[in-house]
Amino acid sequence: MTEPAATDRAIGAPAATGPADADRVPAPAGTAVQAHRVRRHDPVPLSSAVVIIILGGVVLTAMNGSYLGLTVTTGVAYAVVAVGMVLQLGYSRQLAFSQSVFMGVGAYGTGVLETKYNFGAIEALLVVIVLAAVVSLIMGAVVTRAPGLALALATLLLPLFIYQLATFSGYLGSFSGINGVLPFVTGDDYEATTVRSGLIGVLLLGLAAAFVLRVMRSGIGLQLMAMSEDEQLGEALGVSLRQRRLEVFVVGSVLAAIGGAILASTQGLVSPTILNESTQITLLLMVYVPGRKSIAGVIIGAIVIEYLATSTSFISTNLGIIEGIALLIILLVEPDGVAGAVDRLLGRRTDQWAASLRTWGAAQLKTGRLGTRGGGNGAGNA
Amino acid sequence: MSNFLNLLAAGLTSGGIYGIFGACLAVWFRVCNVLNLAVGDFAMIGAIATAKLVQDFGLPFWLSIVIAVVGAGLVAWVFDRVVLHFAFDRGVGAHGIVSVFFYTFGLSLLLEGTARAVWGTDVFGAPAIWSGPALPIADFHVQRAGVLVIGLAIISGLLLWAYLRFTVSGRAASACGESVLGSRIVGINSGLFRRRIFVGTAVLAALFGIVESPLSGFTFMSGPTISLIGVVAAGFSAFRKPGRAVLVGLAIGVAEAMLGGYVSTSYNDVLLYAVLFGIIIFRPEVLGLRAEPA
Repeated sequence: MTEPAATDRAIGAPAATGPADADRVPAPAGTAVQAHRVRRHDPVPLSSAVVIIILGGVVLTAMNGSYLGLTVTTGVAYAVVAVGMVLQLGYSRQLAFSQSVFMGVGAYGTGVLETKYNFGAIEALLVVIVLAAVVSLIMGAVVTRAPGLALALATLLLPLFIYQLATFSGYLGSFSGINGVLPFVTGDDYEATTVRSGLIGVLLLGLAAAFVLRVMRSGIGLQLMAMSEDEQLGEALGVSLRQRRLEVFVVGSVLAAIGGAILASTQGLVSPTILNESTQITLLLMVYVPGRKSIAGVIIGAIVIEYLATSTSFISTNLGIIEGIALLIILLVEPDGVAGAVDRLLGRRTDQWAASLRTWGAAQLKTGRLGTRGGGNGAGNA
Repeated sequence: MSNFLNLLAAGLTSGGIYGIFGACLAVWFRVCNVLNLAVGDFAMIGAIATAKLVQDFGLPFWLSIVIAVVGAGLVAWVFDRVVLHFAFDRGVGAHGIVSVFFYTFGLSLLLEGTARAVWGTDVFGAPAIWSGPALPIADFHVQRAGVLVIGLAIISGLLLWAYLRFTVSGRAASACGESVLGSRIVGINSGLFRRRIFVGTAVLAALFGIVESPLSGFTFMSGPTISLIGVVAAGFSAFRKPGRAVLVGLAIGVAEAMLGGYVSTSYNDVLLYAVLFGIIIFRPEVLGLRAEPA
């Protein structure tokens, strides 16, 4: 243990009684796996962001605004959405299929603000983030009341009518959408503009990944895991289900909107197809095939799938077959996706967080804190 | 009045389509708690395969129907043996909420991709089973294919309802959905029921696709949209009641047509889906699910 005790707390310890109590809570029998520790100063999210930004920057600069570079930037846009879905669908198992709708909010919001109200690209992005947060907060307050399958059904309906709304709305450009969306940053020529805008996209991806990793590696992450395993278990451990559901919905939706804004600015236009079910299907594949709990997996997966979809005609024509077979194999052989298979091959443990959850749950039982609502008895205060 | 009746006929026709796919989804969900998101793709296979067999190979229409329907059933059987058997009988792979959606979602992608590779992106329609001009009834007209669609939907819904409610086999099938372990303890082969109903609904969907395709035409991409609307109809029948799914589908179709006729032709679907969305959110008990306390 390299961190001081005051800032490095085993999740097995009830925070409200002080981190020092951690040592007095024995791990239950059978939890030999070393549990992850929730840290106030966790270096992993920030380091991950730095790696993503540097690596993405080098790749995009090397591609120098080529078609491949444009494809990678488009993949980055989808990756931002997929990172949010890791938290929402992968980690919390919140069955919400509204990400394509919020991508549309981001893309159309950017397009409308820039073409009709003369906003700059960065200004529009900031407004879109606020707009998506407000919309998702209002919508989330309503839809997250719906349990399991009802939430899935409600959010499956969203793309159906939002798509039609966009295609018949003259204000949103009907079937042709909105043209003339500005790049984030303008360079001396087309190549420079593509590279610089792509770098902004990579920067946003790095920040998104760092934020989601921070949440996943915090006490809130453990609460989400408890909820995803069994909502009654989570509630019994003191997790406020509605609050956490709403937070996850808002984070996933805002990241989807940011991805939509990046996509619009990369392509220079917004098309209603961003709202239809095929976009949602693509996003689901980008999360489930590479690994629904792996940030690195979905980033690489989003870029690779976007590349395959626009590469040779043979691959793009047969992409559905490839994706279908890949998804079925993943589901049968390795439900944690390609990332899970890689972890297994490399001999990495994949159950540390489950061990943390067991330890935390045992601590809650021991201290008699079960059933307290409102925030997980300090587990989220990392 | 004739305008109303014409809208009603059109609504019942499209509602029959929603209803039958909802019924297919509901009956299988009742047996194994999995949503068949590939049900629309089985309809697509039936419609396009029949059209191609008749047009390109010159086979007799009825033989083409038999081949297409048997082909769809065979695909379902193979999928069950190769994927679902291992996932649900042997306990291999992903479980829980992922299994509710994603196994059949994978099949849907596979069928859609294969259809695109084999048949291309054209629109296909099987020949009409009951050809001829629209039938005049009083002062409105009904397409013959529409009559078949409505009739087949009602008959299928009634048969599925009666099977589940009045037969020992249907009750055994329902028991599998309630508890796989419990049903196995009393000697019910849950895998067999899952397979039979999956194949049966695939055959029914394929047949329905053949009947319906003269009205709307099918492309390789038609499946997901049909499945999605089927999920909505099944959802409003608590995902478990095929008879009610047909009624809900018919109601949705009629509401859609009336909104289109009397409110807005452009925004009828928007209004309809918004209303359905509101019902799911504010009255989830309609779906047989309870809302979280506010």
